Amino acid sequence: MFKFIFIKELRDIIQSSRFTISFAVCSVLIILAFVMGAQNYLSSKAQYDAAIQENRNQIAAHTEWMMVEHSITLPPQPLMTLVTGVSNDIGRNIAMSGRGELRAENTRFNDEPIFAVFRFMDLEFIFGIVLSLFAKIFAYDAINGEKNRGTLKLCFANPLSRANFIAGKLVGSFVGLSVALLIPILIGCALLPVLGVQLTTDEWLKLSLILIAGILYFGVFLAITIAISASTVKPSNAFLIGLVVWIFAVLIIPRTSVLISGRIVDVPNIDEITAQKNRYRTQLFDEDRPKMSNFQLPEGTEIENAMTAFQSFMSDLASARQEKIDVFNARLNEEYSNKKRAQEQLALSLSRISPTSVFTLVTTQLAGTSLNLQHNFMDEAYTYQNAYADFMQEKTGSNRSSGFRMIMITTGGDEEEPEPLDPDELPQFIFSGQSFSEAAQAGMIDLSLLILFNLIFFGGAFRAFLNYDLR
Amino acid sequence: MQNSTIQAAPLLEAVELTKVYEDGVKALNNLNLVVREGEIYAMLGGNGAGKTTTINAFLDFIQPTSGKALINGIDANALPLEAKKHVAFVSENVQLYPNFTAMQNLDFFVRLGGKSHYERLDYERALHRVGLQSEAFDRKLKDFSKGMRQKCGIAIAILKDAPAILLDEPTSGLDPKAGKEFTRLVAELRDEGKAILMSTHDIFRAKEIADYVGILNNGELVAEKTKAELEGVNLEELYVEYMAGYMDEAPVSGSLSNNLS
Repeated sequence: MFKFIFIKELRDIIQSSRFTISFAVCSVLIILAFVMGAQNYLSSKAQYDAAIQENRNQIAAHTEWMMVEHSITLPPQPLMTLVTGVSNDIGRNIAMSGRGELRAENTRFNDEPIFAVFRFMDLEFIFGIVLSLFAKIFAYDAINGEKNRGTLKLCFANPLSRANFIAGKLVGSFVGLSVALLIPILIGCALLPVLGVQLTTDEWLKLSLILIAGILYFGVFLAITIAISASTVKPSNAFLIGLVVWIFAVLIIPRTSVLISGRIVDVPNIDEITAQKNRYRTQLFDEDRPKMSNFQLPEGTEIENAMTAFQSFMSDLASARQEKIDVFNARLNEEYSNKKRAQEQLALSLSRISPTSVFTLVTTQLAGTSLNLQHNFMDEAYTYQNAYADFMQEKTGSNRSSGFRMIMITTGGDEEEPEPLDPDELPQFIFSGQSFSEAAQAGMIDLSLLILFNLIFFGGAFRAFLNYDLR
Repeated sequence: MQNSTIQAAPLLEAVELTKVYEDGVKALNNLNLVVREGEIYAMLGGNGAGKTTTINAFLDFIQPTSGKALINGIDANALPLEAKKHVAFVSENVQLYPNFTAMQNLDFFVRLGGKSHYERLDYERALHRVGLQSEAFDRKLKDFSKGMRQKCGIAIAILKDAPAILLDEPTSGLDPKAGKEFTRLVAELRDEGKAILMSTHDIFRAKEIADYVGILNNGELVAEKTKAELEGVNLEELYVEYMAGYMDEAPVSGSLSNNLS
């Protein structure tokens, strides 16, 4: 009996005009998301390559490493364009200095603010908004529609158990609609290499898990909708209730959780912290100012060595000052980041009531565009800073931070024309991102939650139908 | 209440069937009726008299408060899956699946009824028998008129080949020609030995084909007449006579009507 209902459900779905229209719209949107993602990636890649080349040209234009203004850039990755997450909200460039704090600047939205208003149509949007609505539109009358049409009575005038009917209905709807969605998804995947986006094995694996999460998320909304349909008599009521549930799950809960966590965990303003840092920096500099004013060259110092002696003096002062600043800043940063993370964790935990939040979290974690992207980028930038500092120390004799510098140029000799710098000498910044196993591990909790949501709501629909009035 | 010298075993039987809803409304009160092989039993009554409730009890759509609904001797509420193997059902407004063709609907419902040996030719024969045109066989049901859908419904009942058939106001809303065709088919099925219990508002059709007519009033069987007893009797007057008291005493309210019909 399960088989009959399952096959009937598949056939009923495929033969309906509602399916034809929804399927056509969803297919276009899904394929469009892949195509636009690929185009975004290629355009970001071109921008990244240009920025790297510009940086190299800038280095090659100098003859002194002291003069180099080096910056590192977050490289675009294909999955970032398919699931954008926070990748467009965080700074992509960091002006590198040998010591001190680094700051990521120049977000994607700086260049293209229009996207900050309307955002990208990525896979997360398609699944999160469009496909959850697709599930709702499709299944809102799954049970009560059959009751109103009289087919429910006709079915149960036969030796058919309720359990078989609802199981066949749930599994049939899920399989029928999921397989239908898989078609444009697979076409989209096949288009990626054709459009010039080459994914590594790790990225393919991550994309597969993202798509599995998408299907599970779709299943949650399908089950919720069928559960509502099995708890109401009129399809119009089921649609309205479903719409309210959808609005809360997709729009209200994720935003509210951020607001609530903001009220519960108080985090100091970033400007406040920056002001404290600046005040302390100024205070230390003022303390050092008399020392600078009183600087005197040792007796009998040759003029050629004067500059070196002054630089050494200033460098020692700056190092000592920077050490104090680093300790102070580290304490402030730690306090800030601890509170910030506590606030984020609370917001994420609260938002996990909603399947949409869980889906967003799992996909961004897998695509490497979760909140951790910024932390990872900054961590890798600070690691690179050490290599950069060592290199500059070796090349210039000092560990230069931002700020003023003094260079003595002597002319009139018969020295050879200085050679331009070789950019290849500079250590390369390579953003490693997350491996598949790391990403899968990070997303496992939320993936499990999606499975749990499916079990709960499929169980809920099952139970609701067992008590449904068939008349 | 029935007289018959040689009586076959009852295929449909209500034994002191009572249904009281949670709000205290008594939909069926101690109902007793029997339908045997080759008999048509027509239940007459106003809205909320208990006709559909009786059919719902046979289909296990409601659980009786007391009493039994037996199909081929099997308690329909205790062993519904077993009991439903022996009964076919045609509802007031057969809708079926609008996205399926007539053939696909037949195939699904007949298989659901436990008959999986039929082939297309069998379905075609059944559809021809109920008077559906060949060109409609592979058309989707959403394009069918009510009469055509009703024909599909009776074709499903024919193919299920159950010994008992429940018809819930089957001619309601049909035009006279379609109603007459439907009546002819029901009579044929009776002649093939089926036990048919039908609820109807159509007094004349009931008198024309029924072997027994039962008049329900407020959940009680207030009168039961055989075909012979109805000979020469004005059934319409009889019906009004029984219903008049009921109408005066207990006008049917909206909620009451919903519960009972």
